[in-house]
Amino acid sequence: MTPQIALPATAGATRWAWRGSRALKGVAGVLLLLLAWQVSVPLVGMSAYFYPAPADVVTAAVDLVRKGILPVYLADSLGRYLTGLTIGAGLGIALGVFIGLNRTVALALSPLLKFMFAIVEVAWIPIFVVWFGYGIRTIVLALIYVVFFPVLYNTLLGVRTAPQALVNAVRSLGAGPLQVIRLVILPSALPGMITGLRVGAGFAFRGLVFAEMVAAKTGIGYLIFEGAQSQQTARTIVGMIVMGLLWLAIDQFYLRPIERATIQRWGLTVDAEQRT
Amino acid sequence: MLRVPAVATAVILAVIALYWGHASIDAARKLDAIGAVPSRGDYRVQLDFAPERFHQQRLQDRGRLVEVRDRTVFMRDVGADDLRAIAREYWVSAIDRWSAP
Repeated sequence: MTPQIALPATAGATRWAWRGSRALKGVAGVLLLLLAWQVSVPLVGMSAYFYPAPADVVTAAVDLVRKGILPVYLADSLGRYLTGLTIGAGLGIALGVFIGLNRTVALALSPLLKFMFAIVEVAWIPIFVVWFGYGIRTIVLALIYVVFFPVLYNTLLGVRTAPQALVNAVRSLGAGPLQVIRLVILPSALPGMITGLRVGAGFAFRGLVFAEMVAAKTGIGYLIFEGAQSQQTARTIVGMIVMGLLWLAIDQFYLRPIERATIQRWGLTVDAEQRT
Repeated sequence: MLRVPAVATAVILAVIALYWGHASIDAARKLDAIGAVPSRGDYRVQLDFAPERFHQQRLQDRGRLVEVRDRTVFMRDVGADDLRAIAREYWVSAIDRWSAP
């Protein structure tokens, strides 16, 4: 076997070993926390309502699945989340590109956008409830609002920092305005859009919990709220854990790979060496 | 690059397809006891546990819930499609006809 063939295999094995070791350390941290939690329960000496043990939480999770509650709540929350995220990101990207390319529009909308950005979605939810009632419309609107601003501002930044040298080069080759947008502006803004999407996706997750607490009768946010209301604290903790795991899965399996792929393959990034 | 999201989506879709397949087979089994399903009817829906508000609301969306006794929910005016939807719920253990008084 030649060294040229052996080297990538060794590198691959080392990478997997490194990943495995990292995962093991992560699992060990979680197990340690669970152990500390379980051990602390008799020491604290409070009822399961105040301080449920991990075993109570596992029992509550199994019960929620057996009774069909958790799958339905999870599906409802995910549906609302994806709808809000898609519409909010779409609007944020469209308006971000539009404002980034048009200085007059930017000057006209800038104060209004800054003002609206300062009003958090939590403040909007009561009035959304008045206008649209309890249910999916209010929740999705709140999520659109949360996702819209990070995506808008990051897209705007990406559009405005598009390398002027490349814009000029493409123009000098006879490209029209739409071609400049397609060939230079959008690839340049893509990493910003994805960063905004990732930030917005995180904010939307928090917004989802609050919106479901206030304006829904299903969903993980509602489970968290209702569990506490009905003195089923273990169910509240199940909701919190599901929320955390869901976010980890979305980030790990979707947002991070999409961000990496976008920046590496389609993103137009100019490093410091190229700039000088 | 986008292999991870593609695999994750494929796994999710496979799980959903498996669930739907299982729910359809399970629903057919539960409805076997009833025989031919009329356009509207009164039914007794059996659960393995005492129904919570969640279950009552889900059933109410499919017909008129008239009574809950222990682990049994009594329903009236349930359409054929609604009955099939109820039978697809895995937390419903059995369904049979009921003559409302």
